[in-house]
Amino acid sequence: MKNVTKIVLLKYGIPVFAIIIVAVQLFLVKTKDLSRWKGGGYGMYTEIHYAYNQIYIPGFSVDSLVKDNEQMQSTFGRLLVMPNSDNLEKVAKLVLETTHVDSINVQIWKPIVNSKEGTYTRVLSHEIQVKKSSL
Amino acid sequence: MKYKLDVKSRWKDQIKVGQQLLILFLGVYVFLLLKDALFWKIPVIIIGLILWFNYRNKTRHPIIWFSFLILLSIDLIHSYFWVANHHFVLFFMVLAVIFFYYHKEKEFFVKNIQLVLVIVVLASVVQKVLSPQFVSGDFYYSVINLGALFKFFMKFIPESIEIAKSNSDNLMNLSKTNPNLGETIVLKDIIPNLRYRSQIFAWLTIFVEFIAAMAILIKPKNTWSHLIFIALIIGVLFTRLETGFMSVLAINGLFLCTNTKLKMLYMIIILGCIALIIMKLGYH
Repeated sequence: MKNVTKIVLLKYGIPVFAIIIVAVQLFLVKTKDLSRWKGGGYGMYTEIHYAYNQIYIPGFSVDSLVKDNEQMQSTFGRLLVMPNSDNLEKVAKLVLETTHVDSINVQIWKPIVNSKEGTYTRVLSHEIQVKKSSL
Repeated sequence: MKYKLDVKSRWKDQIKVGQQLLILFLGVYVFLLLKDALFWKIPVIIIGLILWFNYRNKTRHPIIWFSFLILLSIDLIHSYFWVANHHFVLFFMVLAVIFFYYHKEKEFFVKNIQLVLVIVVLASVVQKVLSPQFVSGDFYYSVINLGALFKFFMKFIPESIEIAKSNSDNLMNLSKTNPNLGETIVLKDIIPNLRYRSQIFAWLTIFVEFIAAMAILIKPKNTWSHLIFIALIIGVLFTRLETGFMSVLAINGLFLCTNTKLKMLYMIIILGCIALIIMKLGYH
């Protein structure tokens, strides 16, 4: 390796790597609805925490579904931190596979705060309807 | 007198002291994360300890740093979207230390740390500017009204604690309802004019972080740069006890600092945060 290349790599290799991680995180925030809080983009405290997102499945208690079930916890957790259609579908399929219902409706809601009116409410981010026959 | 001289000479080499504090932090941090992906971490810890115990003075390879790098990497692979943001910073810092063991150039090491630190703080500024919820003040408005920030200061205004608790209870009740009903709660302000204060605080945060990043980028050794950076760290700690991230930032600051008094201040912040982490206080 040439000396100049070596010096440039040693000085700027790690910082460039750090920039790539941030760029990937920002890309995922834009395209996959990743929470700014996670993924190495240093966006903590820039938006309401993803734990305030709400998964709603009519006819089911989400707390009961995830209780003592690691796979459910991980799949539901992924939906909270990245509330997009792909993750919504994964949750819907998992619930259909592990329960006795023929179809399921899964919704993910996000919190909205309006400081002008002092209100806190929820808006529907994504929704999916899946039938067992389509699996 | 000799004791004082020993301490002074020890603090001359901030890179060595910073590495010692980084090892201490990593030891505590890795221990706290041990239960995640334990199956993969156990062999790394056992082999790492055996190699370190037998070969630490016989090889030029930094065994302990490689062990930490592997442990951090396991968590990154296993829980990329779950690890804290300072986990990524720690990964870059350990990588920089390992490189330093081979190239031995302080200038390269300091440049690595300086640029990583600037990238972290600037990325935080960019994220804030890109978030409509942040720049509008809505984010601060909600978290302050829910009592998630400024807990330390809220102790001096007892009624604010009650209002925050009432807001939290209302939010808890709301989360139990069917969101399709479109219910809304009204947050009570814990202090008057919180909406305007939140907007001002949001832009002040962006401004201070930007100034700190620029100061570290342009004048990484300057006393004023470090005073601004230390003020930012202390400010964050009083806003919310983010002991993990702040100790990592303080270790970075220490690596760049040449002023003995400020090095001591960094050391107090780092050890104070580590002590709080060990006591499981704050967020790590």
